[in-house]
Amino acid sequence: MDVVTRADEAGLGTTAQGFAIIVEGLRKRYGSLVAVDGISFRVKEREIFGLLGPNGAGKTTTVEILEGLRNADEGQVFVSGIDVRKDPQKVKSVIGVQLQSSAFFDGLNLLELLDMFAALYGRPVDAMGLLKKVDLAEKARSTVSKLSGGQKQRFSIATALVNEPQILFLDEPTTGLDPQARRNLWELADSIRAEGRTIVLTTHYMDEAETLCDRVAIMDHGKILAMEPPDTLIQRLLDKGFHRERMERSANLEDVFLDMTGHGLRES
Amino acid sequence: MLTWSSLKAYFRNRGAIFFSLLVPLMIMGIFGLINFGNSTPSVNIGVVDQAHNQVSGRIISSLQGIKAVKLHTGALDSERHELQQGNRDLVAVLPASIGQGSTAITAYYNQGNPQNSQVAIAIMNQFVDRASFAFAGISPSLTLDTRPVQSRNLTYVDFLVPGMIALSIMQTGLFGVVFTFVQWKQRGIMRRLMATPMRVSDFFFSQLATRLTTVALQIFVLLAVGLFIFHFHFAGNLLYLLIVGIIGGGIFLAMGLAISGASKSEETAAPIANLVSLPLMFLSGIFFSRSNMPEWLQTITQYSPLTYVSDALRSISIDGASLWAIRTDLLGIFIWLAIAVVIATRLFKWEVV
Repeated sequence: MDVVTRADEAGLGTTAQGFAIIVEGLRKRYGSLVAVDGISFRVKEREIFGLLGPNGAGKTTTVEILEGLRNADEGQVFVSGIDVRKDPQKVKSVIGVQLQSSAFFDGLNLLELLDMFAALYGRPVDAMGLLKKVDLAEKARSTVSKLSGGQKQRFSIATALVNEPQILFLDEPTTGLDPQARRNLWELADSIRAEGRTIVLTTHYMDEAETLCDRVAIMDHGKILAMEPPDTLIQRLLDKGFHRERMERSANLEDVFLDMTGHGLRES
Repeated sequence: MLTWSSLKAYFRNRGAIFFSLLVPLMIMGIFGLINFGNSTPSVNIGVVDQAHNQVSGRIISSLQGIKAVKLHTGALDSERHELQQGNRDLVAVLPASIGQGSTAITAYYNQGNPQNSQVAIAIMNQFVDRASFAFAGISPSLTLDTRPVQSRNLTYVDFLVPGMIALSIMQTGLFGVVFTFVQWKQRGIMRRLMATPMRVSDFFFSQLATRLTTVALQIFVLLAVGLFIFHFHFAGNLLYLLIVGIIGGGIFLAMGLAISGASKSEETAAPIANLVSLPLMFLSGIFFSRSNMPEWLQTITQYSPLTYVSDALRSISIDGASLWAIRTDLLGIFIWLAIAVVIATRLFKWEVV
């Protein structure tokens, strides 16, 4: 009760101010290791929020706590106005989760898997419509093992959308994909945001964060070092007098690659 | 819905289904064809001596002299019981009046095993003829009065089939969950499921329902193959068989969950599962009766979960036992179920830690 009262006093737990996620003083320890060290941040509705940081920075732990998969030791976490620490099950029904490993039951085809996931949320789903949205309609009757890497990630996102979530968590969605598939996935993320959903993205690719994210939080050693729009962070660095050793050209190797091989998706 | 999905997924994995049936069938085929049980070349004759005089004594000792005859003596009731159990081919009753004038020896023979009982009758006939001459010298003073008796005449297959059913229940329970769950943990499928509002109880229910459906299916197939190919004598109630099979299956499912909880990868799970299943397989009277084991081993192995399951299945299918009649086995099964469930809830983990 104490937490709720304080939360209400602070105006937390409501989405009236346009925040999809509110985190205050979140702390998580594993034995003597402090994985998340009292961080606070807010994610606005309808933004793509990037969580960046080297391995072991505490990103995954933070995201897992937001998703209701792990318990926090201290702090307050509100997702879509729901107190996650009090009601993790309820949070799970309003969020969509795409995990790094995109493995599913081998025996079922894509349509059947989507139906099964919908059943887990206790609601009907237009499975075919969802597959069309992620451009997998013609693979409807294949199994996941027959999909390419990019297709697997798109399907994984489709499973995360069966419950029409307000907030979508994407965990390194483009790791291991070719440039065409990455761009395709970015477009998908943009279109999902355009539907009015909020996206929390973790990634190791800075170009991805720069292209997609409205704001990014850079984490290390369990703390948030900075939280701004990418352009603001870049400008601040430049203002400090930073300049690259090598003069930046207005094109890079990826542009060359895409110019030669085209933007079209390569999938068997 | 989750149950239906997991059933569909499970049964599309044809390899797993194939092997869960193939292995018990193969073993049944091999052992059934070799047929260890009928390796006794001699005929079993039981003699009930009601006279206890010189004549009856001489008859018994002469019968003992016949090489092909394995002679048993005993009271009428016990010998007739042995005959009904299929342990005698013929039981001859020497009446108290033997040696005093013309006497009829009553011979009950086993109708269920005609080859052996015909041999036994022929032996007895020959013997009676000769004995009559020897005793009296005149027209036969001994006659043989043969009477058929219905016996259940068990073969090795009758022993083997319930054992095989028990074995396949154990294999499905143990290996069916150990490998899938460890794989699901490793591949992140468990985590993905945990990220949905799925209730844990629904998940376990769907998994158990899937495996127990498989167990029921195995019982049907093994029973059918036993009946139609190996002439299994099924005398019991199919429903009882299913009940015991499914509760027994629960023990091994829980053990499987415990193992998959305790192991981080398939590489560690497989040896542990084998370490549990192999001793059970050979010490629980699956292939051979435990009565051939040394006494101390019999004492230990009577408490094995698989012994309880296979003994219960055997009593049901051979003796037509009711659930009440096998209550001690059922008690053992329930105790093991409780133990296994407690261990499983302690050891099971969702994540690869």
